[in-house]
Amino acid sequence: MVSIKASYKKMQEMLGKQLSIEQLEDLLSYAKSEIDQYIEEEDMLVIDIKTSNRPDLWSPEGMIREIKGILEEESGIPEYEVKESGYVVKVDSQLASTRPYIACAVAKNISLTDYYIKQIMQLSEKIDYSYGRQRKRSSIGFYNLSMIKSPIEYKVIEETHEFIPLESTEKMSLERILEEHEKGKEFGHIIKGYGHYPILLSADGTTLSLPPVINSNDVGKITEETTGSLIEVTGTNFETVNVVLNILCQVLVTHGAEIYSVKIEYPPDIYTRSVITPLFDKEEIEINLDVVNKYLGTKMKPKDAAKLVAKRRFNCNSIDSNILTIEIPPYRKDILHWVDIAEELAIALDYNKIGPTKWKVLTTGGLLPETESENLVRNILVGAGGTEVLTNILTDPEILTTKVNIDKQEYVRIENPVTSTYSVMRKMIYPLLINVLSKNTHETYPQMLFEVGEIVKLIDKKVVTQSNAAFLCADADASFEDTHKRLNQLLSLLDTDYEIKQINHPSFTEGRCGLILIENKKCGIIGEIHPSILENNQIWVPVVGFEIELPLIPSLKCNVKSTD
Amino acid sequence: MSNLEKKISLPSEAVKIYQIIDENAKISIKELEKQTKLDRGKLEYYLGFLVTNELISRLEIVSHQIYLTNNGKEAAEDQLVERRIAKILKEKVGVSFTDLSKLVKTENKEMNAGVGLLKKQGLIKIDKGQISLIDKKKEVNKELQTILEQLLSGKTVDTSDFNEILLQRNLASLEEVKDILLEILIPYKEVSSSIQKMNEVSRLTPEMIRDGSWRDTRLREYNLKASPPTFYGGRKQPYAEFLDEVKQKLCALGFKEMRGPIVELEFWNFDALFQAQNHSAREWSDVYQVSNPKQGKLPKADYVENVKKAHEYGYDTGSKGWRYKWDPIKSAQLVLRAHGTSVSARTLVDLEVPSKYFSISRCYRPDTVDATHLCEFTQVEGIVVDPSITFRDLLGILKAFAVDIAENEHFKFKPDYYPFTEPSVELNVLDPNLGWIEFGGAGIFRPEVTKPFGIEAPVIAWGLGIERLFMVKNGITDIRELFSHKFDWLRTAKMSRG
Repeated sequence: MVSIKASYKKMQEMLGKQLSIEQLEDLLSYAKSEIDQYIEEEDMLVIDIKTSNRPDLWSPEGMIREIKGILEEESGIPEYEVKESGYVVKVDSQLASTRPYIACAVAKNISLTDYYIKQIMQLSEKIDYSYGRQRKRSSIGFYNLSMIKSPIEYKVIEETHEFIPLESTEKMSLERILEEHEKGKEFGHIIKGYGHYPILLSADGTTLSLPPVINSNDVGKITEETTGSLIEVTGTNFETVNVVLNILCQVLVTHGAEIYSVKIEYPPDIYTRSVITPLFDKEEIEINLDVVNKYLGTKMKPKDAAKLVAKRRFNCNSIDSNILTIEIPPYRKDILHWVDIAEELAIALDYNKIGPTKWKVLTTGGLLPETESENLVRNILVGAGGTEVLTNILTDPEILTTKVNIDKQEYVRIENPVTSTYSVMRKMIYPLLINVLSKNTHETYPQMLFEVGEIVKLIDKKVVTQSNAAFLCADADASFEDTHKRLNQLLSLLDTDYEIKQINHPSFTEGRCGLILIENKKCGIIGEIHPSILENNQIWVPVVGFEIELPLIPSLKCNVKSTD
Repeated sequence: MSNLEKKISLPSEAVKIYQIIDENAKISIKELEKQTKLDRGKLEYYLGFLVTNELISRLEIVSHQIYLTNNGKEAAEDQLVERRIAKILKEKVGVSFTDLSKLVKTENKEMNAGVGLLKKQGLIKIDKGQISLIDKKKEVNKELQTILEQLLSGKTVDTSDFNEILLQRNLASLEEVKDILLEILIPYKEVSSSIQKMNEVSRLTPEMIRDGSWRDTRLREYNLKASPPTFYGGRKQPYAEFLDEVKQKLCALGFKEMRGPIVELEFWNFDALFQAQNHSAREWSDVYQVSNPKQGKLPKADYVENVKKAHEYGYDTGSKGWRYKWDPIKSAQLVLRAHGTSVSARTLVDLEVPSKYFSISRCYRPDTVDATHLCEFTQVEGIVVDPSITFRDLLGILKAFAVDIAENEHFKFKPDYYPFTEPSVELNVLDPNLGWIEFGGAGIFRPEVTKPFGIEAPVIAWGLGIERLFMVKNGITDIRELFSHKFDWLRTAKMSRG
C-alpha cells in the first residue's frame, strides 16, 4: 500500500466538479484508492492506494486519469506528441554489471506552481521507495535544462570527484558524500555494493548527480521558475526505468508541458542499439472474449468489451470475432495475462452491477480432527474451572527464560524483530501463563487459567508447530492436589493411562515436580512453581500447574506439523 | 379475622426484638442494632416477621444532616479566622495587613475573608493601612464558634439558624442520611398470648432428611435480596469463543478446515502465490525472517519446478511471468506465516475438486504494536474450487459472508489488489455507527498460482476481517484487547451474541 497527500480543492479542480468526500471516495475506488483521512484545516486528503504494482496511480493526476475514463469524459490511451530534443546521453560500458540503464526525457513549457512541484516530488519519492525498491531498482532525477549541455555522460568516475550536493553549500567528494551527507548515509550502501561511483555529467563537465544518491545543488532541482527540465531515471532494468519515465512524462503533460525525446547511446555490452526515450513500445495483448465471459460469468459482446477497455484507458486495436487485441498504455507494466484485462473489464462493468450469484458449490464442511481434539481439552479444562486465555506465540525471551528460572535454550528466533518483546517463538505455554498471573495480582483469587495453543520448536533441526495445553492454579491454599486432580480428570476422561515420575526442573520446587509419562514417553510436566519465580514475578500466592503435549495423548488426533 | 385472634409464629429472636421496639415505641434501626447486637442482615431478617404480621411498621426516612467540612473542623479547633484576628487586635492597636497576616499564621485568601468579615460587621476600622478594633469588648461570632465546637464534639445540635452561614463559608456540608425507623403498631402485651415461638434452623442437614425431623423444623428464610458472593467459573476466552462460532458458521456453509505450520517456507508464503522474489512484501520490513534455523527444505516435487517457471516466464499459462532468475535458496528461507493464504497455497497440492476450505490462523508481520496493529494476529482465509465457478460466484460467496457471518444485509464491493488474484475485490459492510467498513477480500487465483499445481479449475481465494468484526460487535476500540491479559475482562466479558 502506498499513501499520498493531496489537496481536496485541487483534486476537485482537476476533475472539474465539486464533489463531497464520499463522492470522491466512491470515484477513487476505481483507482483502487481510498481516503484514509481528511484534514479540513489544511485542505489535505491522505489517500491510500492499494496497488503496489501500479505506480502510475500514485499521484492525483494518475488517479484522475483513471476516474475520467470511468466517467467517460476521456477514453483510451492518452496520446501526446513527442518531438526530438537533440539531447544525447552516452552510457559507459563499465556500468554494465551495476546500474546500466537510463531513460531520459526533456520537458519544456513547464509552468508548475509550488503545490504541483511538491506533488511531483512526492510521486518521485514514492516510486523511488516502493516501485524502485528504495532506489535499488530505479531512481528519479529532475534537472534544470538551461544548465545542461549535450551530450550528457553517464559513466563511472573516481571517488575524489567533487560537486555541491543538494542541501549543501560546499563541494564534497563522492566519498565524503557517502560518509557525511544525509542521503549518502541512506542510499550510499547501494553504490558501495557496486564497487564504483556512477555519475551524470553535462558536456561542459558540470555534475548533474550521483545516481541513485543525490543530485547537484544548482543543476539538480526544479522550482516555480523552471520552464525546461531534463528528467532522468537510472536503474537495473530497462523496462522499469522506461515505465517510470513514462509515468512522469504523463503527469507533466497533464499540466501542459511539452515532451521531447532523448537519445540514449548504449555500448554494445549493455544494449544492442541506441534507444530513444521515452520509449512507447505499443505493447499489445490478445483476449478471447468467450474465455473472459466464462471466467467472469458475464455476457459481454465484442463491441461492448472494446468500449469497456477504453473506459479503463486501454485501446482496442482490433476485433476479430471473439478475439480482441488490446493495447496497453506505456505507463503500465502490470498486465501479464488476459486475467488482468478480465479484471479491467469487471471494474468497467462495476462490481456492484455485475450481480452476485446464489450460493452453489455444494460440499460438506467440518473441523479438522485436531481442532476437535483441542476443543475437547478446552471443554474439560473449562469444566475444571479454568479461565481460558490467549497469549502470544511470538514472545519475549525474558518471559520464557529468566522469568521462569530457565537458562538460555534453543528457541526458534526472529532475525528482524521490531522489539525484543516479540522475538522468539514459545516452545512451552506455562511461562506465558505465569506472565498473565503476574499482571493480575490485584484480582481476586483463586485464579485458574489455561491455554490450549500452538507452540513452535526444533526437532532434529526441523521446525515444527504443535499444540500444547497448560493449566495453572494460583491461590493462597493452592496445593499439588489442585493440579493433580485436574490432570487426572483430563487424562481419565481422555481414556489415557499415565504415570508421574519425580524429576527436578528449575521452574518447579524440588520434590514437588514430576514428568507426565504416557506409554513411558515424556509428554508433559506437573508441579508447584518455584517460590523464587513467584517472588520474581511478584505473585504472592502459591501456583501449581501442568503442561502437556497434545500430540502425545494417543486418544487425541493432534499432530506435529513440520514446515518442510 | 384480626391479628388478635390469629396465632402468630415467631422465632424467639424476633420476639425479643419486638419487645425492644415496644419499649421504645419508636426506634431507629441503628439504635436497634446496638441494643440487639445483631448484624444488619440478621436483624432485617427478624424484622421481616414483625412487619409481615403487621406488628410494627418499617419506614425509610431521609433526613439531612449537617457535617463539618475540613475547614469547619479547623475552625472548631483553632477558632474562626475572624476571632483569631480579633484576638490579636485586642492586644495591639493598628497593625498592618502584612504583619497581621504573619501573626495569624494563615494564608492570604483566608486573611482577606476574615478582615472583610470584620469590616462588614463594623468591628474594625482601617486607617492608612493600619487595622484596629473599634470595640475591644465585643465578642466576635461567638454563637457560630460554639455551634462548630458542639458539632465537632458530636453532640446533637439544632443548627437551623446557622445552616446558611455554615454552608456559605464552607464550614459544613449538608448530607442526605437515610435511616430506617421502626414503630410499634400493636403493643406487645396485646398479642403476647397469641405468639408461638418457633423451632428454627438455618441449615438442612442430611440427618434431618434421614430422621424426618425436618417436618417439625422451620428452615430459616433466605435473604433473597442479599448480593451473592463473587464467583468466577471456568469459561472460554471471549475472542477464542467468537472464533469457534465463526468456524461453526463456515462449517455450516460447507467449508472444511485446513491448518498449516506457523514457521513457513518462503515458497508457500510467497513463491507459490506468484509474488516475485524482489516484491516489497518480501522485504525485512514486511515479513519476520527466522534466524535459527534460517533455511528449510523445499519439497522435491514437480510443482516447485513449475512455480519457478511461472515466475521466470509464466509457465504454460500464457503469462509473461516476472522475467528474472528464480532463486530456490531464497524460496527455502524460513519466515513466520505472514498471511493465511500460505495455508491455502499448501492445500493446492492434490486439491480435491470441487471443494471449499477455510483456515483460522495466527499470522505475523513486523509492525509496532499499538491500538490498531498487532504483530501477531488472526486471519480467516480460504478457497473455493469448482470447474464452473466464475467471478459472479465469487461475489455471491462474499455476499453470503456479509449476510451469514457479519450478519449484515448492507454490503458493497470495491476493486482491490492482491498479487495472487485477478480480479480482486474488497467487501464492505455498513456499520450503523462506523459507516462502511472493510470486512473481507477475495479474488480468483491467477493461473500462475494454480497451473503449476496442475489445477485447471478456477480457485477463488477469500479472507475475512474477523478481528474488526469482533471489535465492532463488542465495542472494543483497542485491538490489543483481543489478547488481553486482564482477568477482569476475561472473567466478566459478556457472552451475548451481537
